Amino acid sequence: MDPETAFQGYLDGALETFGIEADEAERAVMRGVWHLYEAGMNRLIDADLTEVELEADLDLSRSPEA
Amino acid sequence: MTALDLSLRDQARAIAEGEVDPTELLESCLERIEERNPALNAVVAAFPEESRRMLAEAPEGPLHGVPVLIKDEWPLPWRAERVAAAQVLADLQPGESGPFRALRDAGAVIAGVANMHELGSGSTGAVSVYGPARNPWDTERCPGGSSSGPAAAVAGGVVSGAVGADGLGSIRYPASYCGLTGLKPTFGRSAMDGHHLPHTETIVSGGLCRDAGDCRLLDSVLFGEELPAGKPSRLRIGVARDPFWDCTPGVAEACESSLEALRQELDGEVTELELPHEPLYLPAALLVAQSEEAAVLTPENLNSLDPELSVINRGLMKLRALLPGTLTARAFLVRALARRTLADLFQRVDLLAWPATPAVAPPLSDPAVELPSGLTTADPSNARQGTLANLTGIPGISVPVGLDQGMPVGLQLLGPWGSDALLLDAAEALEHATDREFVELRPAAVA
Repeated sequence: MDPETAFQGYLDGALETFGIEADEAERAVMRGVWHLYEAGMNRLIDADLTEVELEADLDLSRSPEA
Repeated sequence: MTALDLSLRDQARAIAEGEVDPTELLESCLERIEERNPALNAVVAAFPEESRRMLAEAPEGPLHGVPVLIKDEWPLPWRAERVAAAQVLADLQPGESGPFRALRDAGAVIAGVANMHELGSGSTGAVSVYGPARNPWDTERCPGGSSSGPAAAVAGGVVSGAVGADGLGSIRYPASYCGLTGLKPTFGRSAMDGHHLPHTETIVSGGLCRDAGDCRLLDSVLFGEELPAGKPSRLRIGVARDPFWDCTPGVAEACESSLEALRQELDGEVTELELPHEPLYLPAALLVAQSEEAAVLTPENLNSLDPELSVINRGLMKLRALLPGTLTARAFLVRALARRTLADLFQRVDLLAWPATPAVAPPLSDPAVELPSGLTTADPSNARQGTLANLTGIPGISVPVGLDQGMPVGLQLLGPWGSDALLLDAAEALEHATDREFVELRPAAVA
């Protein structure tokens, strides 16, 4: 299945599953936006993050080394 | 030239020394809004009586009597924000926001509310319930977003300083498109109380002004502490070519030239480097940002969206509701990875530099840009340049460095957490190195 068809299937199923209505124009936006960022999202899914740990006391105003 | 055309700091100084009457300054600002706003659509609400009351009650302070604008992203005591949208999934009420209090306590006078990209969700400013703000350099082109109105107003000479917000680059893109200096502060340092996303981990308030000196003044007010001026030397500037220098030839030339001027001015060095894991940062930043409003994206809310909300945002909100949690969870891991990567990188360099936007402002009617990597809409290519700072919390600044096709070009400098004053110092060093040529440029319509 090509990625566009696969995403369309996901979109249709998820909208129906969660009871979210969307007209064709809104669906076109969803497809378009996903297409723009799909490669990046796939890299995120495929990345090996097993060694990465979340910061215990996250403070975004400081370096994680501080 | 009138007092309204002075820099923010010269207006403040002239008022303090009795050379300028702040009442006359406010009235000339209100007149200029009426005169120039029809072409710019930068100001979406003016309230002369409230502004006059602010002036009458203004305390002594660093901005005593100086008129400024604030983006339509925070409430004022007499007006709820609209975020430039027909509908916002939050209870918006008038009130005292952090930026309002900071401005009021500094003696500033809020002369109006500035336009923005609808819901802050775009980098161009092309979509707004009020109609788009327009770029004073060419009113058929995008002013940049989401802080479109603050940038268009300052570049258009309506005020000398305006408060914007930066969640995924939203101060730096309009600063770049409109030829201004715009600082995205370190996360958590500038006033944010009263924002409709109270638990945001990406959005900060910050100033848009014509030069770094004015940004230092306005951002010091927003920080509630002085950002001291210094004279840095021997700074090590890191340049990551791939993918951040995938930009139009004119933008590349202006940024390269200014970078060399900055290097010479600082007696510094420019080091080529790679940013490890870079391809993961943009999707992670988008996912972290979208997660901040995910809790309100219920089927009930999404099925009753106001039809006046743009189809783009209706579609975006519904897409956000459907994104798998796995993606968002991995985005938070990537944020941790990015922060550690930058902490390591900033042991070796003091600043990072790349173009704030990879192309100059595109047409409002077709916000697309042609880059060496191909034709794309402006949003993803801008987001690639700007979102690392929001993902990780570091500060960034866009500094005007020239013109391409008659439109401004911005160089972005990024520094480690808490280096806001250093970024302003570097911006001032660049102004000095270029004899202030680029911060003194004005659009023909307001020259």
